[in-house]
Amino acid sequence: MQQDQHDKMAAEICKGFEEKWTLFASGELHAWEVAEMKGHLVECERCNETLAQENALVALLSSNRTEPGAALLAGCRASLEDALDREEEHGWLRRTVGALLPTSWISPAPAWSAALLLLIGFSVGMLGPRLLQHRVTTSTSQTPDTPTKLDFHTAKMAVMTVAPSGANEPPEVDVQLNAQRPVTMHGTVNNEDVKDFLMFVLHNNQRFDADVRMNAVDLLRARNKDADVRSALCQTVHTDHNAAVRLKALEALDGAEPQDIIQQTLLDALVDDQNPGVRVEAINALRAMAAKGQVESDDHLISVLRERMHKDPSTYIRLQSAAAIQDLGPRQKF
Amino acid sequence: MGMSVAFEGDARAAAAVRLAEEQALVRSAQAGDRLAFEELVRRYDRDVLRLALNLVHRPEDARDIYQESFLRVYRNLHRFRFECGFYTWLYRIVTNVALDHLRRRTSRREDQAPVPEEAEGGTRDFFDRQPELRPGANPEKNLLGQELGAHIATALDRLSPRERMVFEMKHYQGLKLRAIGEMLGTSEETVKNSLFRATRKLRASLDGMR
Repeated sequence: MQQDQHDKMAAEICKGFEEKWTLFASGELHAWEVAEMKGHLVECERCNETLAQENALVALLSSNRTEPGAALLAGCRASLEDALDREEEHGWLRRTVGALLPTSWISPAPAWSAALLLLIGFSVGMLGPRLLQHRVTTSTSQTPDTPTKLDFHTAKMAVMTVAPSGANEPPEVDVQLNAQRPVTMHGTVNNEDVKDFLMFVLHNNQRFDADVRMNAVDLLRARNKDADVRSALCQTVHTDHNAAVRLKALEALDGAEPQDIIQQTLLDALVDDQNPGVRVEAINALRAMAAKGQVESDDHLISVLRERMHKDPSTYIRLQSAAAIQDLGPRQKF
Repeated sequence: MGMSVAFEGDARAAAAVRLAEEQALVRSAQAGDRLAFEELVRRYDRDVLRLALNLVHRPEDARDIYQESFLRVYRNLHRFRFECGFYTWLYRIVTNVALDHLRRRTSRREDQAPVPEEAEGGTRDFFDRQPELRPGANPEKNLLGQELGAHIATALDRLSPRERMVFEMKHYQGLKLRAIGEMLGTSEETVKNSLFRATRKLRASLDGMR
């Protein structure tokens, strides 16, 4: 009977600890609570089992995690930059309306709020275009030779010419932008304004012709070690709708770092690109990296190459994939 | 003892410097410095994207959450008064956006297009879906892995949006329950209860798979 009572008390104590094991496993308890529970663990097999189950559950779920890929992150950043550019254009309107409409007094009075919003909307519609016109005129009167972000967005490009300079120097770029006031830019890709403009071309590929984008890719190649340039080139490989531009972007990544991101971009192009020329460039670049010892061979890489070896419509790519497997994979029969 | 105190002191000093840098960046961004804002984004965007991707499992949805969150930060940065850390404030916004997304998805579940078979595992990318062709590979192990992934995704789907958020932030973002409570605008006790419920449901769903 004493044993029964003892067992009953032990069960009560264990029941009291039940939810605490979750917090114990998560490191959320105070030191004195941890000491108390560790003391209990010494004598209670059931609670040891409960804690082991708790840890096993977290370990099991941890095995199913996803880390965002570099291409996804680069794509998100590029989309955000575009969205921020649009926000800047409309920023004055939002700030004006936001200042006039504190949300705390809108929601309790919906009818009055609706009437007020209609009135504000009517006023903005009448006055907005005039105020916008005034802002554009003001901004183009500043720093005549330095294009602002606004000029990039509202300008239509007139001419971009590229001229070679010295043997070891990057080419000289001349850009003439048609805007409210014509703007010119001159310099090499080492000039930050020129670089910003070229990156803008790649991020807004729908606004510029393919030859302009190809020039931009070609020029940015000299700075492919900059993280933002590398990211823009990777994004171009994934998203530009012109195959020649995507191919040029792949070429421009030669020598860029870190190599695992470049390797991933090449593999994505090899698998996903519909254009065989781009896939050919991707497999060639991969083999070139492998020859320099820059490729990290792993199961994913080998499985992609095997899939291409069996399924790619291009004989050349199938053969090159097989050769790449020989270079990188363990020796085995096909 | 002396050395551990010295290390602790160095760590605190480094944290203070980082905090001061971040405050300076926030102030510059509030003044309209776009580069400062982009630097703030770079500091945290990978974590934000990881949280979003592990909650919704679809890259396009994760991208929407990412963009909506940072746009809200950009639009409301002028309202940030340093009453809490920037990280806490950012995550408050991210969790609101993510919870809205999860709730919309739950309520639209009947209207959703059928999920392609290969996406049912939820978190697998293209390469993980490729058949393992090496002679040394274990097809049975791969199949078990895929089944396990599908079970885990189903188990996570059974959690409410808030339970899922708390579980994700606790175990995979490594946040303390108190910090999670601040981010979700609720008490630590409520967050604890969400965590207990989530753990119980997951344990019940996954018993036998471990």
